[in-house]
Amino acid sequence: MKRMVATKYRDTGRPSKARTLLEVWFANMSAYRAEIVIWMLTGSIPLIMLAVWIGKAQAAGGAVGDFTPQRFAAYFLAAWVSQQLVVAWVAWELDLQIRQGILSAKLLRPLDPLWEHLAMHVTERLVRVPLAIIVIVVGLFIVPGTQLTPDLPHALLYLLSINLAFLIRFLIAYCVGILAFWFEQAIAVEELYYSIAMFLTGSFAPLDLYPVWARTIIEWLPFPYVIYYPVQILTGEANGLEIVRIIAVQLAWITIFGVLRSLLWRRGLRRYGAVGA
Amino acid sequence: MGRSSTQTATRGKRGPFGFILRYLRLAGIFAAASVSAQLEYRTNFALGVLGALLEATGALFGLLILLGDGQSLGGWSYYEAAVLLGLFTFIQGMIGGLLRPNLNKMAEAVRSGTMDFTLLKPIDTQFLVSARNVNIFVLPNLLTGLGVMGWALAQLPGVTILSILGGIVLVGAALTIVYAVWFMLTTTAFWFVKVENITELFNGLFRAGQFPVTVFPSWARFLFTFVLPIAFITTVPAEVLLGRIRPASVVSALVVAVGLVVVSRWLWLRAIGSYTSASS
Repeated sequence: MKRMVATKYRDTGRPSKARTLLEVWFANMSAYRAEIVIWMLTGSIPLIMLAVWIGKAQAAGGAVGDFTPQRFAAYFLAAWVSQQLVVAWVAWELDLQIRQGILSAKLLRPLDPLWEHLAMHVTERLVRVPLAIIVIVVGLFIVPGTQLTPDLPHALLYLLSINLAFLIRFLIAYCVGILAFWFEQAIAVEELYYSIAMFLTGSFAPLDLYPVWARTIIEWLPFPYVIYYPVQILTGEANGLEIVRIIAVQLAWITIFGVLRSLLWRRGLRRYGAVGA
Repeated sequence: MGRSSTQTATRGKRGPFGFILRYLRLAGIFAAASVSAQLEYRTNFALGVLGALLEATGALFGLLILLGDGQSLGGWSYYEAAVLLGLFTFIQGMIGGLLRPNLNKMAEAVRSGTMDFTLLKPIDTQFLVSARNVNIFVLPNLLTGLGVMGWALAQLPGVTILSILGGIVLVGAALTIVYAVWFMLTTTAFWFVKVENITELFNGLFRAGQFPVTVFPSWARFLFTFVLPIAFITTVPAEVLLGRIRPASVVSALVVAVGLVVVSRWLWLRAIGSYTSASS
C-alpha cells in the first residue's frame, strides 16, 4: 500500500508535491474539526461588535452617521468571515520547530518548509467553510434586509482579495516566527500583534468611523488590507478603480513581506547551523 | 521552613475558623510554590508589560471610536464606560492568573488518569484542583485594569467610599460567578473527556463584557443576562462602583453567585462519584 502511494506520486512530477501536501494536510485538519469550530467561535469580536453597533444605531434612532443596522450587519458579517479566512498560526509552529530542533528534519526535505505551512493553513480554511455559512445565514436572519454583497463580480473579486489578505497576514506571522532564531520571545511579539490588530484591521469598527488622525496613520500600514479593504470589496462599498488600487497595494505588501521573509530566513538558517542545533 | 509550614497546614485545627485558616494557609503555600517556579522566566515580563499597556491604550481608543458620534454608549459616558473596561481587564487578568492555570489542567488529568492522585490527597478535592497554581504573568494586566478603573473613577463626581465598598463586594460576587461557570465547564471533562477548548468558548463570549449590557439590542441583552450571566460579572459591579445602585440587580447578582457555587459543587460531587480512572 505504502509503495503504491509512493509510485503514484513519483512520476507525475512537480504538481504532485503540492497535491500530496494538500491531501495530507486536509486529512490532518479534518481530524481537528471540533477544535476548529471552537476556535472559530473564539474569534468572535466582529460578531460582538455587530451587536454593539446595531444597538448604538437603534438607540440613536436608526443610524450612526450613514451606517444603518443593515450596513453594520453586512460589514461585520463580512469582517467575521474574513477574519476566519486570514487566520495564521505559523509563528507558533516556527517558534516550536526552531526552539526544539524539529526544524532540522524538515530542512532535509527538498522543499522550503514555507510550502508545508502554507498547505496546512489553506486546507484548514476548507474545514471552516460549513460553520461560516451557518453563521452568515443566522446573521442575515437576525438582521433582515441585510445585503452581504451586491453582485457576483464583487464576490469573485473579494475571493481574490481575501486570498491576498491571507498571504499578507501569513507572511507577517512567518517573519515574527523566524525571530525565534535570535531570541526566545517570538511568541510574545506575536501576542502583541493580537492586542492591537483588532483596532488596526477594522474588526472593531469600520475605519470610516475612526477619528481622521487615526485613519490617516492606519492607511499607511498593511493591517487595513487584511480585513477592512477586502470587506469593502465584498459589500460593494469599493468599486472600479478603487478595487484595482486595493489589490495593487495588497500585492505590494505581499512583495515587501515576502522579500523580508526570504532575507530573515536565510540569515536565520545561517545562525541555526552555527549553534549546531 | 517550607516543610514545617506544610505540616502545620495539613495537620489542621478544630472548628470552622481553624478549617478556613488551614485552607488559606494551603492556598498561600501553593501560590508561593508556583510563583517561585515562574520567577525563572522573568525576562518575559518586560514584553508582558508592553502588551498590557498596548491593550489598555487600544481599548480606551476603541471607546473613543464608539462614542465618536456624540451619543452615549447605552446610557454610559466615556469615563463610566472606562470604569467598566478597567473592571473587565481586571477580571480577565484574574481568569488568566487563577482559573486558567488550574482548570485547564483538569481535563488532561481526567483523560490521562492522574486525577487519581488528586483524589487521594487528604484535603478537599475541589479546592485542590482549583487553587494549586497561580500565573504571575497576568500581573501587568491586573495593574492596568485597576489603573484604568482608578483613573476613570477619579473623573466622576458620583463616586463615594460607600459605592466603592459596595463595588468591591459585587466584584467578589462577579469573580465567584466566573469561577463557578469555568469550573462547571471543565467538570464536564469527567463525562465528555475532550474539553480542553471548551473554556475558550466562554472567553470568546466573555469579551462582550467589556461593554455595558445596555448597549446591546434586546436579543443579545437577553443572552448576556440569562444564558451567560456577563451582565452580573461586569455591568452590575461597575454600576455599583459608580454609585448607581439598582437593588434588584444587586440582589440578583448575589443570588446568581451563591446559586452557581452550589450547583457547581453538586456537579463536582457527582463527577468524582462517577469517576472510574482512565483505564477502566
